[in-house]
Amino acid sequence: MTDLPDLLGAVVEGVDAVLLFSPSGSFHEQFADLDLPVVVVSAEDAVGAERFVELPLEFEELSERLRFGIEGAIQQGYVDGDAVLACAAKVFGDDIDSVTRVRADGFERSGVYDLFVNSRAEPSVIRDVLEVTIELGKKGQKGKQVGALFVVGDAGKVMNKSRPLSYNPFEKSHVHVGDPIVNVMLKEFSRLDGAFVISDSGKIVSAYRYLEPSAEGVDIPKGLGARHMAAGAITRDTNAVAIVLSESDGLVRAFQGGELLLELDPEEY
Amino acid sequence: MRVLQVEAVVERLLRELAGMELTVAFAVLILLSGFVVGVAVARWLGRLLVRLDVPTAVEGTPFERTARSFGTSTVALLSRLAGLFVFLVAFVVALRLLGVLATELFVARLADFFPNLFVAALIVILGLLVGDKAHVMVSERLSSVKLPEVTLIPSLVKYSIFYVAGLLALAQLGVATAALLVLLAAYAFGLFFVGGLACKDMLTSAAAGIYLLLTEPYTIGDEVRIDDQRGIVQEMDVFVTRIESDEEEYLVPNRLVFRRGIVRVRS
Repeated sequence: MTDLPDLLGAVVEGVDAVLLFSPSGSFHEQFADLDLPVVVVSAEDAVGAERFVELPLEFEELSERLRFGIEGAIQQGYVDGDAVLACAAKVFGDDIDSVTRVRADGFERSGVYDLFVNSRAEPSVIRDVLEVTIELGKKGQKGKQVGALFVVGDAGKVMNKSRPLSYNPFEKSHVHVGDPIVNVMLKEFSRLDGAFVISDSGKIVSAYRYLEPSAEGVDIPKGLGARHMAAGAITRDTNAVAIVLSESDGLVRAFQGGELLLELDPEEY
Repeated sequence: MRVLQVEAVVERLLRELAGMELTVAFAVLILLSGFVVGVAVARWLGRLLVRLDVPTAVEGTPFERTARSFGTSTVALLSRLAGLFVFLVAFVVALRLLGVLATELFVARLADFFPNLFVAALIVILGLLVGDKAHVMVSERLSSVKLPEVTLIPSLVKYSIFYVAGLLALAQLGVATAALLVLLAAYAFGLFFVGGLACKDMLTSAAAGIYLLLTEPYTIGDEVRIDDQRGIVQEMDVFVTRIESDEEEYLVPNRLVFRRGIVRVRS
């Protein structure tokens, strides 16, 4: 006769650390006396955790969320690169309802954590741009599917590797992404051709930019169009991050260093 | 003859009595209307304060919490105070009318003192609220700064506001506040003079920065030279301009842009 806890106990047997994804305060307190290191991964540190990884985006896809949390925990030195981790997260409910055992070296690191934390632009700026892009992908411009390309960070270099297609509507304006009215402006201007350039601190430098990086050696998945190619190429040439909304399949993709790091479906948010 | 005299006396007495009755009636009327107006003012003020979102503004301040622990709230306290003031004014007016209060009496003086007392109470409540709110806001602003000493600043702001409010209230009550005033002047002088001296460079940079942001003689992406430092402008804000060359990144204070001028490199 075997008990269910014995059978399922193998899931957390011999783990090196516990990752709690967006735990409630009382849930987190239960882990206070645990010998293992406990890492809290959530949007804000509401429980005052000792080890904390900030989740910039509530990834709908569980594997993306886990990936981000684990990469963040490794980067911040909370866990070793070859540790075995127990990840407790919420899938359906409002409380933590599932536990997964993950080997930290058992999956390929996508660098999604680096995308937010170790890029030139501030993490909040990247988050704001992603949010705008997701919203744009969800609603489109007046119900019509649109495409858009945002180049975030390293704006000086990006400006020097691009040329204006027309007058810059953001000239002598000092608007930043995340300002309340800006989302509407970005949506309106998204029907223009060309890329948006956004500085490290979130200032919208220009719209209507034609990017002219050298696309040599850029390796992006086949089937993606010129917009993605331009995004991949500009991030290889500069230290910028590019966030693209595809006009054809409606997905949001993020590029850094010429590589595709993140793929999100706006409909899931 | 006798009858006539008695009649006259009765008539006078009656007339006096009627006059007295009228005055009493009038006084009661004033008292009643004072009560009604007071209640109305309290209601109206309460509703106005709620409409102005005062409850959310004062939420979380110690004053509000103390008020809550006594089963009331800031809004209720303020509106009741205003209502009470109106009623007290009516009360005093009624007493005056009846001639019960002689002006040289102490109570009468006290009655004249009511408005001052009311304003002083108002100032104290407002001071407490604003001080607490400033404390909450400043500490929220500074929450990202992980420095133990930084917790001193919100308290300093709070007690400065308390001090000024206390001073105003005391002055309103007619207490001699000259010594306290001197202390405040010294404090303000220290704050502005020393603070101004310390922030001199920041202020000149900000003044230059505002001009630069408004006219944008150079912008992100331009190649410039300031002070023998050449590079591409990466970021501009009110205080500094960031210029980046291949290897290095310069943070140029905006006042230097004005003092030394700027060279835009055309390629």
